[in-house]
Amino acid sequence: MEVGLDIKFFQRERRKKEEGGVLIHQLYIVLHVTTARGERGKCEMAPLKYLEQEYPILDSNFQNFCATHGIFSEEDLLLHDLHVLVAFAEQQSTSERLKQGITQVLSIIDGQHQPWLNGMELLEDAQLNKHVLSTGCEGIDLLLQGGLRMGQLTELVGASSSGKTQVCLLATSNVAKKHMGGVVYLDTGNSFSPQRVIDFIRQNSDPAIDQAKHRILQKVMNRILCHSVFDIFTMFDVLHQLELNLRSQIQKGDCQVQLLIVDSMSSLVTPILGGGGSQGHALMTSAGFLLKKLAHEHNLVVLVTNHTVGGEGGISKPALGESWKSIPHVRLRLSHDQGSSIYNVSVFKHPSMASGKAARFTIYD
Amino acid sequence: MEKVVGSPREWIDRNESAKTMLARVLTARPLLLLPPLHRVPLRVGNVVELVGTSPSAKTHILIQAAVSCVLPKEWNGVHYGGLDRLVMFIDLDCRFDILRLSKMLKHRINGESNGSLKKIDQEHMDFDLWNNDTKKSPTYDEELYSLCMRRFLFIRCYDSFQFLATLKTLHYRIRKEQELHGISVHILMIDRNLGKLDTSNSRSMSSTSLQLPYREYMPSVWQMILSFEPMTMIARSIFQNGCSHHRVLWINLLSKRPVSSWSHELREDLVCSLGSFLISNMMPIKST
Repeated sequence: MEVGLDIKFFQRERRKKEEGGVLIHQLYIVLHVTTARGERGKCEMAPLKYLEQEYPILDSNFQNFCATHGIFSEEDLLLHDLHVLVAFAEQQSTSERLKQGITQVLSIIDGQHQPWLNGMELLEDAQLNKHVLSTGCEGIDLLLQGGLRMGQLTELVGASSSGKTQVCLLATSNVAKKHMGGVVYLDTGNSFSPQRVIDFIRQNSDPAIDQAKHRILQKVMNRILCHSVFDIFTMFDVLHQLELNLRSQIQKGDCQVQLLIVDSMSSLVTPILGGGGSQGHALMTSAGFLLKKLAHEHNLVVLVTNHTVGGEGGISKPALGESWKSIPHVRLRLSHDQGSSIYNVSVFKHPSMASGKAARFTIYD
Repeated sequence: MEKVVGSPREWIDRNESAKTMLARVLTARPLLLLPPLHRVPLRVGNVVELVGTSPSAKTHILIQAAVSCVLPKEWNGVHYGGLDRLVMFIDLDCRFDILRLSKMLKHRINGESNGSLKKIDQEHMDFDLWNNDTKKSPTYDEELYSLCMRRFLFIRCYDSFQFLATLKTLHYRIRKEQELHGISVHILMIDRNLGKLDTSNSRSMSSTSLQLPYREYMPSVWQMILSFEPMTMIARSIFQNGCSHHRVLWINLLSKRPVSSWSHELREDLVCSLGSFLISNMMPIKST
């Protein structure tokens, strides 16, 4: 949130001052701070002065011309109408060079969005990279036709003690052990229990000598990273750090992160919703899109939990409201039979399955 | 086929049942676009908007339309009845599943080459995506399939700046793709789900009795005569529609996107610049 304030402050300053010269430098500092925290890691919106080093056609003449139209940085160029700019450039004496500069700028803007892909490339990416990870729980795997899919955001909805955290821990242990992938667990309620994960790992393994088992166990547990986050801004920090690590391909040991769990999303988001402003919803959607981006770009499975609230007619519905409803790819509803260890899971929403399909599974103590 | 009617009874007796008539009409004069789009004025310069709550098959309709658009009219002697053009899809939701498109395309190709009338009950078919279609007919046309898949152009935008950058470089991209493929772009699809609306904007959409917070855009059908023209067409149709909620939709499109570091002034700038970008493109056309 402080990012927004900074830009506002400097924009006000800019309007006060006549000259753009000194302020460009200040704006640059602010923008660099924001890009460390900001979402658009790829496109750093640098002022035009700094683009000159890379593209010599954007010389000081061009920059002065842009300054007369109030364009000081890449962001301004994006917001400004380029056809109007071309029309104005024609009236200048150095129109040819200015137009070349504008063409150069257009090609810079072209590099600021994702590349256009065609259907075959998408299909190849989906088939090669987006595998299915099994959760370790047969009921859920059968329901989801194989398990959790990479590149998708899966949400577990359920009332309290309906097994959401258990499923998350089970998935953690399975991914760390069978798929040998890294797991990043964002824990909001101190519910991550290493002992439980070890229990799950031990459940399905063959009996072996203790020495080797201890080493294997250590290796498996080393793949799991648990962060305690208690508010949404810490979560953003952790996710941005993760994104930077993934992008610069820092591998931790022998494993690549395959699973990202946020338990639970609702406890992070609910405090900021409400109050009449739209910042809460914006932050929530922003978090959702960041998770989806991480899932797609880096081939992760993202698992998120949510609790339920009372709806119309006494039927409970998922929390976080309508805005969140369309963000996850897959929504599963969990419930628990009282007193037994049998859980029910049903499909709430799935891109390729009718909702309402259900299955049962058991989690042993 | 005139037939001399022998008796009044023969004249009253039905010629054919509704089902057979539908089958006959659909083969003789196939629909270019499947229902519900066949009644919609989908031509150059029109912006069609599909509105609906979350599980209401909007993306499914878009995918169906995309399949009809990329198929050629005829290939290897089999009549497919497609529009034989490119489709561009901008995914603002980041939820597009390419496997659905692929399965639907294969289904359609299989259906046509087998000669069965899949068009009638295509939307009632239950797609089981994980089972291969190999048991039906393993000899579907691979070449045609890969050609059609390559005609589908896709981009996803994670925030509004990327979307704006995409829009700004769109006609350059269209020209490039046209040179590459030799055919022009027919439909531009934008897939987004709007979050919770501001109360100030929801007033303009209060015409519907139900609460419909989700919208989706499908501007369509461009003729690549002038590079400025497509944008102009869109702008014209938006402002000619009179009702301001299209404009409001564009505003919502941009202001509700969750770039968390936005100040209010930046948002306004973005909106005005996009608005002026659209309007100013009308200038070249007016001068001719």
